[in-house]
This record gives sequence, structure tokens and C-alpha cells, in this order.
Amino acid sequence: MLKKLASKWEGYMFVIPAVIYMLALIGYPLIYNIILSFQDIDLQALNTGDGSFLGFSNYIDLIHDSVFWISVKNTLLYTVGSVVFQFIIGFLLALFFSMKFRLASFLRGIMMVSWLIPLTISALLFRFMMGSEEGIFNQMLLSIGIINDPLPWLTSPDMALWSIVLANIWVGIPFNMLLLSTGLSNLPEDIYESASLDGASVIQKFFHITVPLLRPVILIVMMLGFIYTFKVFDLVFVMTGGGPVNSTEVLSTLSYRYSFDDFNFSMGAATANILFVILFVISLIYLRMIKKDEVM
Amino acid sequence: MKKRQKEWLLNILGIFIVFVFLFPFFWMIVTSFKTQSEIFQIPPTFLPVDWQFESYQEIMQNNIVQNFFNSLLISSLTTLVVLLLSVPSAYGLARFSIRGKELFILLFLVTQMLPATVILTPLFILFNQMGILNSYAGPILACATLGIPFSVLILRTFFLGIPRELEDAAKIDGCNPLSAFVRIVMPLAMPSIIVCGAVSFFFTWGDLIFSITFNRSQELWPLTAGIYNAIGQYGIEWNSLMAFATISALPVLIIFILLQKRLVKGLASGAVK
Repeated sequence: MLKKLASKWEGYMFVIPAVIYMLALIGYPLIYNIILSFQDIDLQALNTGDGSFLGFSNYIDLIHDSVFWISVKNTLLYTVGSVVFQFIIGFLLALFFSMKFRLASFLRGIMMVSWLIPLTISALLFRFMMGSEEGIFNQMLLSIGIINDPLPWLTSPDMALWSIVLANIWVGIPFNMLLLSTGLSNLPEDIYESASLDGASVIQKFFHITVPLLRPVILIVMMLGFIYTFKVFDLVFVMTGGGPVNSTEVLSTLSYRYSFDDFNFSMGAATANILFVILFVISLIYLRMIKKDEVM
Repeated sequence: MKKRQKEWLLNILGIFIVFVFLFPFFWMIVTSFKTQSEIFQIPPTFLPVDWQFESYQEIMQNNIVQNFFNSLLISSLTTLVVLLLSVPSAYGLARFSIRGKELFILLFLVTQMLPATVILTPLFILFNQMGILNSYAGPILACATLGIPFSVLILRTFFLGIPRELEDAAKIDGCNPLSAFVRIVMPLAMPSIIVCGAVSFFFTWGDLIFSITFNRSQELWPLTAGIYNAIGQYGIEWNSLMAFATISALPVLIIFILLQKRLVKGLASGAVK
């Protein structure tokens, strides 16, 4: 009897600990975040433990905060700019390394290292390379004579966001390349052979065979790229900290600033919730997509 | 003959692309050995003309040894937590008929996409109530949530591929499900478990936000937080900063080189599933 009961539950014994862990450290905080955003919790209320209930007033404050709208705009520009270019470059590299030469897979593998290095370090490297006098970018451009004055990569409000996009593209390329390479290697070769027999050019083959066949993978790569870029924090935090004059503030850094610079935890929670809702909707679309296509 | 020339050309072009792409790392190491004035020189020098090693001595006097130890401790313990929880969980999801299995898998998939900033504020308040701010526990508990979903999803796929007959045979020989799992399945899965361990280790090694938020005390800070702090401290002493960055990146580079093939394969399947 006991044995039977045990065998019925043994599956759960394996699964449940991790699920409880995730519910406690992700599920509960998510719910608590919603409660927080309707309250008024600052550093004092944190210690006494009671915050008054405010209703939607944090969200209303947020909507009237111009910096909030700037960070929404920045987050979108940042994400779209990064995703488009890291996809294009990643795709080109995937195509290049899908050609058959001895070092192809080894070299492609090495590039992944930039994806595993802490983002703090990557951010620091770009901050250095984009420095106005010490940075290699300006030094090169100046010595070749393309520019006469150093470019204000990270110090100009007009340029800083795009400079961070550039760094993010670099971070994102290997990931895009890897997934697209996997997709490319699964394509059937005989279609290409018969297309060649019919006299199709390389470009025709690319647009009429590769792209349509790879469509599900392309969609997934773009969606994942969107999700991973939309939540970016470290890169912006280390490269500019949201400045100059909020020109690189994104939703995640804004939320952090509310909570841990101003100690207005409720406003931080409200901002984070908006970020969460947007990401959640996109994740749902993505999950429906992989379920429907059942790729990979 | 022509084919061989093309192959040569592709190899050289490939090496060139990879060099350009990985140039920031090359530049990091080179700069760490340059003198301050050489860094500002135009046109730049591609190898140090005047090698200096003082920047490494300089950062040794800073807290870097403590930072390194903290990174190692936090990352190892987190990896341990991740593996202890995710290996059995992945096995359970692969082998047993469990009600709500789809939901559990979905749960892990969704959490993988959550930004850390969303749970940061509530976790800070929660940890404050539990009295574990300013300890190693905060970053360890939080960082494990990054590695668990990834590992569960990858390992589940792997366990699905192991023939069930192996465990059935073990059961006939009198093994219970737990010992069949430990003695038969685990050894087979070891390569995949190592990949998941390495990735969890990298995730945690790269964490900045959890550590600087939960721990105000610099004695507890990992390398990433140490670097972030050093930016303000060293200002434009880029050789010291780059020495700091080089030391921080080194363990990642070493583990990556050791596990390269397996890691790349694991990342490819994990990022999509």
C-alpha cells in the first residue's frame, strides 16, 4: 500500500524541489511586485513594514513622468536597432561559416566566447574603445583622417544610445549566428542541387530556397533576440548609467534607479511591472510560435 | 588545384573575421601591459612598445584577490544549487507521467525570459525581511534562478534520448527508481551535466546586479562588482582597468577552451528549446 502510494508520487519527488524553488524566488516576487506597485514603500516603510495603499497612483505618476516615456522610446529603439543588425550580420556569418572549409566550425565556435564573457567586461571594453582620446575607435578614425575631431561616442546625448546599440550588436552576433547555423545545417541539400541544375543563381537560391525554408528559425531568432535585448541592463548600466541627460535610460535602468537610487521601491516596482507585461506578451507569442511550428 | 586555393582563401578570410570580431579581447590584454602615455598615443600601437607589469601589481593591492575568491565561491555554490535541483527535475519531467507536466515545462521556459530587474526590488525586500542582505546567500539564491530553467530544459531533452530499457533492466535487478537514476542514468548524462554546470557558472560569474544590490559590503563583492567600482576609482587609468578585466575574464576563457565543443553544442540546443 505504502509502496504503491510512493510509486505514484515518485515522479513528483524528482520534479517538485526545483519547481518550489522557482515559485519561491520568481513566482512570489512577481506577485509581490504587483502588490508593491500599488503601495507607497520607501526606505522608512521598509523597516517598519507598513506602506499605505495608493491604488494606481504610482502608475499615474509614471505616465506623467517624461523620463519614463524617454526610456520606453529608448528601449524600443535600442531593441529594434540591435535585433535587426545583429540578425543581418549573424546571418551573413552563418552563411559564410556554412561553406565547407577546414577551420569553419572551429572558428565559429571560438566566436561564442564573446557571448559568455560577463557583460560588465564587454561593456567596459566598449566604454574604453569609445573613449574620446584613449579610445581606439577615435584614434583609428583620426589617424586615417576620416574625422578631424574626436567623436563623442558616449558623451553626446545624440550619439550615446547608438553607441550602446553597437556594443549590443557585437554581444548578440554569436548567438544569432549559432542558431542560424544550426538551422542552415538542417536544410536538405538535394533541393539546392536540383536548383543548380535548373540554372538558379546563388542569390536566387538564397531568397527562394534558404529564406523560405529557414523561416521558422528566423522568426525564433528574431523573437529571442527581441526578448533578450529588451531586458538589457548591465550594458547600459556600465557604459553610461543612463546618461548623458537620460539619453540612454531604458526601462530596466529606470526601474533600478527608482528603487535603489531614490529608494522609491513602489515606483521601481511599477516600472518593472510594465517591463514585465511587455515581455510576457512577447514571450507568449513566441511560445505559441514554437508550439505551432514545432521546429527544432 | 583551384579548389584548394579557394579553401585556403576561405580559411584566411575566416581567421581574419574572427580576429576582427574578437579584437576587443586582444585590445584588453594588450592595453593592460601598456604605459599610460602609450594608451593615449595617436596613431595607436598594436603591441606595447614599452611593456609594463605595474598595473597588475597595482590591482593586486586593491581588493581583487578577495573579489576573485568571492566570484569563485558564489559561482561554485550557485552551480551546486542549480545542479542539485535541476538534474532530478529534468529526469522527472522526462521519465514520469506527471499531471501538469506541460505547465511545469512552460514555467521554466517563461522564467528564462524574465529580466532580473523585475524580481530585484521584491527580492531585496524579501531578503531584508529574512535578514540575509549583506551575505553570500542573496546572490547565490538569486543567481540559481538563472541556471535552473536552462539546465532543466537541456537535461530533459538529453534524458528523453536515453533508452528506457536501461533503467528497466536495473529495476529487474532490484534497483529502486532513485538508485537506478543515480547508478545508471547519471553517469551517462555526465557530459551534459557538466555543460549545464559550466553555463550556470558563467551566468553567475557574470552577475553584477544581484551582488551590488543585495550586498552593500564590498568585502562580499565578486569581480564584476569590483570592476564596476574600479571604473570610478581608477578613472582613466585604463591599463589597470584592463588588467582587472583580463583577470576577470581568464577563468571563463580557460573553461571555454576546455569544454569548447560540448559547450557550443549545448548552447545551441538550450537557447532554442
